Amino acid sequence: MSAAGENRERMTPAADREVLLDVQDLHVTFGKGKKAFEAVRGVSFQVYKGETFGIVGESGSGKTTIGRAIMRIHPVSGGSIRYKGEQINGKISRELDRKVIKEIQMIFQDPMASLNERAKVDYIISEGLMNLNRNMSAAERAEKVEQALADVGLLPEFSSRFPHEFSGGQRQRIGIARALIMEPECIIADEPISALDVSIRAQVLNLLAGLQKRKHITYIFIAHDLSVMRYFTDRIAVIHKGRVVELAGTEELIGHAMHPYTKALLSAIPMPDPVHEREKELIVYDPAIHDYEKKPPVWMEVRSGHYLFANEEEAAAWNE
Amino acid sequence: MKQEVILSVKDLHVKFRLRGRELYAIRNVSLDVYKGESLAIVGESGSGKSVFTKTFMGLLDANGYIPSGEILYEGQDLAKLTREKDWQKIRGGEIAMIMQDPMTSLNPLKSIGEQIAEAIRLHQDIRGADRVRARVMDYLRDVGISEPERRYKQYAHEFSGGMRQRVVIAIALACNPKILICDEPTTALDVTIQAQIIRLLKELKEKYHLTIVFITHDLGVVANIADRVAVMYAGDFIEVGMAEEIFYDPKHPYTWALLSSLPQLGQRGEELFTIQGTPPSLFKEIRGDAFAPRNPRALKIDYLKEPPYFQVSPTHKAKTWLLDPRAPKVDPPEAIRNLKNLEVVYR
Repeated sequence: MSAAGENRERMTPAADREVLLDVQDLHVTFGKGKKAFEAVRGVSFQVYKGETFGIVGESGSGKTTIGRAIMRIHPVSGGSIRYKGEQINGKISRELDRKVIKEIQMIFQDPMASLNERAKVDYIISEGLMNLNRNMSAAERAEKVEQALADVGLLPEFSSRFPHEFSGGQRQRIGIARALIMEPECIIADEPISALDVSIRAQVLNLLAGLQKRKHITYIFIAHDLSVMRYFTDRIAVIHKGRVVELAGTEELIGHAMHPYTKALLSAIPMPDPVHEREKELIVYDPAIHDYEKKPPVWMEVRSGHYLFANEEEAAAWNE
Repeated sequence: MKQEVILSVKDLHVKFRLRGRELYAIRNVSLDVYKGESLAIVGESGSGKSVFTKTFMGLLDANGYIPSGEILYEGQDLAKLTREKDWQKIRGGEIAMIMQDPMTSLNPLKSIGEQIAEAIRLHQDIRGADRVRARVMDYLRDVGISEPERRYKQYAHEFSGGMRQRVVIAIALACNPKILICDEPTTALDVTIQAQIIRLLKELKEKYHLTIVFITHDLGVVANIADRVAVMYAGDFIEVGMAEEIFYDPKHPYTWALLSSLPQLGQRGEELFTIQGTPPSLFKEIRGDAFAPRNPRALKIDYLKEPPYFQVSPTHKAKTWLLDPRAPKVDPPEAIRNLKNLEVVYR
């Protein structure tokens, strides 16, 4: 069995696993005063070293904001983010800042928009490296760029070309090489395959899985599509309107989904089976079904490693 | 049962002039579209699926032309139309199109109610501001937009992606078309919204007696909406059949490959199937089966001679030498042999 399979085996005794990233009661607010909008409203989760942690939710749910808050792109308005036990949100030392920049990297959704059109591939890939180490020799840099290109299955001569000369799938590989060259411990992949053709999606997913196997990278995989998640992640957090509503191991979440929003996401997965598809009933999630006035919801563990945001009555009913 | 043909494409060729070279985008394609069906055209980027449907509306780029072939619609050959005036009668009123990205297909400076009203005034015999306005409200309700009175005055930027696509659909409906072409209408949307838009299109198809041509790169999406599926590769339909035939009994290795690469079929810990190589350059002449260089199990003849259509059933045909009686028996990949029992995984 390959790395992804082994990871799942390793997951079971959660207590002795090393926590790489610990997010507690995270809040992110945009705007001020009356116009303030709270995009992330008290999110907590832990990411273990070497696993693939999925964050799934629809547009506007705050999933990208969480990723960006970890990357220190958005300031947090409450809670804490700890990386290897050290707090990395708010004011941090220069050394820690450099360490975080090096060790946590990001892959973006749209490879057409995320690469500098005016720069050659060589520069795009090595820009972060040069910012971190200005004394690096040209030869050393070229060598690292070549290695990063090879890692993502591109030819070394591509380094002197511009992004527009590449197809969507190749551009996404460049985006991945740009993250890899920093030798990161953790990569946040924000919808890395949503903008790609189905046939290219499979290639990019295989590449990411292979890299994890070789380099033991921890992934935070952000997407809106649970079908890809099922294949790719070890654990999944389902996020709705800035709150995690359900969190569990991948098989557990898909096999025993409890929250109606998770069920809605599952029912929306298009399956390549016309008879089943025509008969299937689409579940549309309506938040109005919750009666949270009198009995406010809490974050609770309903089965081993399976967490739910609900009140007691709901949890009992959904856990049938 | 013999179905009525609403649009008939015969031996169509489309070429583009590009910097002194010729790109051969559509290579001798014939296809009938039946009245009231929903037909899905599936293929990778660059396979020619959008170009094919753009010829129905005279929307080819200026450097594109039709060297030969017919597109018969209600006794008229659309391939021969040149004057903009003639096209105006087809566009919208007969054949309407929904584009991929609802962000760019709406006018940002006009309220969405006005944009729908504009289509009604141009294409329908409704006069008087009040009556047009009432009709706009009907369409807004039909596409599932609540509070139409308030929404009428709003602008595109005040709508979410899914709601914008609903507005685009309302505008297309207001043209009162017979054929609705949906060019990747859900690619830019979330899965949940995608499922809702597809359900909406199915409802509207019944209510307005539409014929739907649905273009997509994702075979997973079309199982829900398509009655019939046509798979396009390098400017040609390599397999055409009823949805059940394409999903449960596909015959062409390219259809196998497209199905196999769906992440829905991926097994944890195993590599996903990928199609090797890239589609052939359409600048060059294609010899034999266009998919042969990417097909690990291609036969010798695939490189030499283009396969004809082999009829599998009255509604199912495929262009592959594997269907020739003399060909060796090659089974479709394991992963796609039993698509009927998939739902077990997702309950």
